[in-house]
Amino acid sequence: MTTSTIDLTLPYKTRVQDALGNKHLRTALDRSTGRMAGQRVAAMTAVDGQLLRDQVRQMKEHVIRNLPDLLEELERTITANGGHVHWAKEGVDVQRLVVEIARKANVQKVVKAKSMATEEVHLNQALQSAGMKVVETDLGEYIIQLAGEPPSHIVAPVIHRRVEEIAEVFQRELDMPPTLDPQVICSVARGALRKEFLSADMGISGCNFAIAETGTCCIVTNEGNGRMSSTLPRVYVVVMGIEKLVPTVEDAFLQYQALCRSATGQQCSVYLSMTNGPRRPGDTDGPEEFHVILLDNGRVDMLAKEYGEALCCLRCGACLNVCPVYREIGGHAYGSTYSGPIGAVISPSIHLEVTDVDKLPYASSLCGACREACPAKIDLPRMLLELRRDVVEEGDAPLFDRQSMQAFSFAMGSRGRYEAAGKLGSLGSNVFAGMSGGNIKFMPGPLAAWTSSRDFPPLAKRSFREQWKERQRGRKSIGEGKKEE
Amino acid sequence: MSARDEILDRIRTILSRPELSFPPVEAPPLTADERMTVTHAEGDAAALARRFGQELEKLYGSYEILSSAIEVRLALINRLTDWAAEEDAARKGPKPETFGQERMVLSWAPAQLPIDGLAEALADMQWQLVAPDKLTSPEALEKVRFVRFGVTGVEAAFASTGSMLVVSGPGTNRSASLLPFRHIALIPFSRLYATMEAWLTERRAAGELVDLLRTRAGWNMITGPSKSADIEMNLTLGVHGPKYVHAILFDDTRPVISEAERAEIARLMALDDDE
Repeated sequence: MTTSTIDLTLPYKTRVQDALGNKHLRTALDRSTGRMAGQRVAAMTAVDGQLLRDQVRQMKEHVIRNLPDLLEELERTITANGGHVHWAKEGVDVQRLVVEIARKANVQKVVKAKSMATEEVHLNQALQSAGMKVVETDLGEYIIQLAGEPPSHIVAPVIHRRVEEIAEVFQRELDMPPTLDPQVICSVARGALRKEFLSADMGISGCNFAIAETGTCCIVTNEGNGRMSSTLPRVYVVVMGIEKLVPTVEDAFLQYQALCRSATGQQCSVYLSMTNGPRRPGDTDGPEEFHVILLDNGRVDMLAKEYGEALCCLRCGACLNVCPVYREIGGHAYGSTYSGPIGAVISPSIHLEVTDVDKLPYASSLCGACREACPAKIDLPRMLLELRRDVVEEGDAPLFDRQSMQAFSFAMGSRGRYEAAGKLGSLGSNVFAGMSGGNIKFMPGPLAAWTSSRDFPPLAKRSFREQWKERQRGRKSIGEGKKEE
Repeated sequence: MSARDEILDRIRTILSRPELSFPPVEAPPLTADERMTVTHAEGDAAALARRFGQELEKLYGSYEILSSAIEVRLALINRLTDWAAEEDAARKGPKPETFGQERMVLSWAPAQLPIDGLAEALADMQWQLVAPDKLTSPEALEKVRFVRFGVTGVEAAFASTGSMLVVSGPGTNRSASLLPFRHIALIPFSRLYATMEAWLTERRAAGELVDLLRTRAGWNMITGPSKSADIEMNLTLGVHGPKYVHAILFDDTRPVISEAERAEIARLMALDDDE
């Protein structure tokens, strides 16, 4: 395995600067996010998308309100189906539980379907330390595993790489002949991964949703690696957040359709794989052992700290694809397993080690596109603002934030002060712009906090109010004014 | 206290806080009456079959519709023969070793397929229908590893999305629709529903939905061939599951020969006897 150039533990500012400086990342993000966002809109408008969102929201509110009862019901049904249920308060508990299950079943090789929950608890590292081989089998996850990188998107983990870079990894790691044809790259992966599936002892996946009344764990995939992982190995382990359940079979199919439409703009994913325990007498195939691990790891904290609305999340990634900030900086700049607007909201609560996690709520322009895209109508901008308030209340906000707000209120307090401030700003900014040659690359004092990572356009030489006044007097039009200059 | 009890107790305590802003205190479940049907399809069985096919075709699958069960055997053989020829023609290098699995078709047990006599019909054309009892060890899987074709029936199929539901059980393995490169699904009209919601409603009304799920371990709803968009959102087919999915839909709602035809045959045979 090669060493990754991506270091999630760097300071937030460095991560963002690295991302913004990476031309290839911008190309890759441009090519992908826009397309996914467009496909989602098409799929949600082809049906009564607003009603679908309303119903998903109602169902999820019911789930969170009745969470303890539904979890108990799920535990009962899974157990009755012949499965084993385990509870994990922290990420390390998942690691311990899975290693125990694997050791007991003498597992040498593990195949994994894409799962954010196992990514969150660093399960791969734990299993590898325990001497097991772990193979990620989602095409995107497989590529980044070969490249030694973390995923950068909830549903499209290798969105940050161009085909040229992916081909290079395959040529280096799998002796693929030089090609940029995605279909050829895909065939090479099929061959390599089929060998792994047929010889694996344990399959691990996440869970898109589990049905309480039947004890069914459902995974939504397009490639079929989820089916392989849940069908071929002797032991199948599901790791799921405690919030990812639905009461009834009908609720599952409703959420399923909202998820597919919001994530990739599909009516249905290629596979919806539903497991009800180990294989039964008379079955030809399927795992002989079935385990479900229910994970807290900060989810209950979210509820306690009034961020419980985020527990409605289906993990579709729609908010990432429409977020102007995500589309510029990509997933890795967030430094967390979960990126984008939903990542900025849940990362501070989930027990993850994220450098500068309190800066994530600021990785947003609060434009509200995420709220409009969310299939569960989660009010992400509200929670981002509240998280910022938390940061200020805890006294961690930069001094400049507080002082500038005081200065702003003072300047806005009277018309005279407002106009004077405008003049001063125009004069000052144009002086600096002249020095930088166009846009302002540096500003003095506390304003440097802005220009250290962004450019700032100079203010207009004459304010709108001044131009308007002149126009009203009828002396000259704005166009003539420009000519004179 | 166990992790389980700690987690559940803590959630219960938090949910009992009167000032908690989320979730709302009144959070009723969705009822059957209000729950929406997301997609729609209309018409008789033949119209639903056409819609199913159109939806599948949009996803790079293929289909044919037959007016009687009698035609299915020939259609299946033709499809296998065409596909085999297609693979031969497309192959660039030397023929890979297939360990005698080249003419094998991985299948459900013949008794579970919706058409009788398929194994015999295929054998006449040197195709071997393979339905292993067990596929639970690497050794057993090795014996079907190079099989290129799979054939199954379905539990149900949904026209509005082109989806088919397959369920594990005695004689209905999960592998035949998963491992081969090409999958053929035999879908009688009697198992075709307008939407997935229509099937759910019917099973729920019959009081068997919950038991049905709980008694069978592995359910899969399949909508088109395996695909990925992980490489720059480029569509690639056949990543892990079948790259080709073909549905043979056939009308099993009419008797193979009508009553009038049956009477006519009986009359002619009686005439024969007289002579």
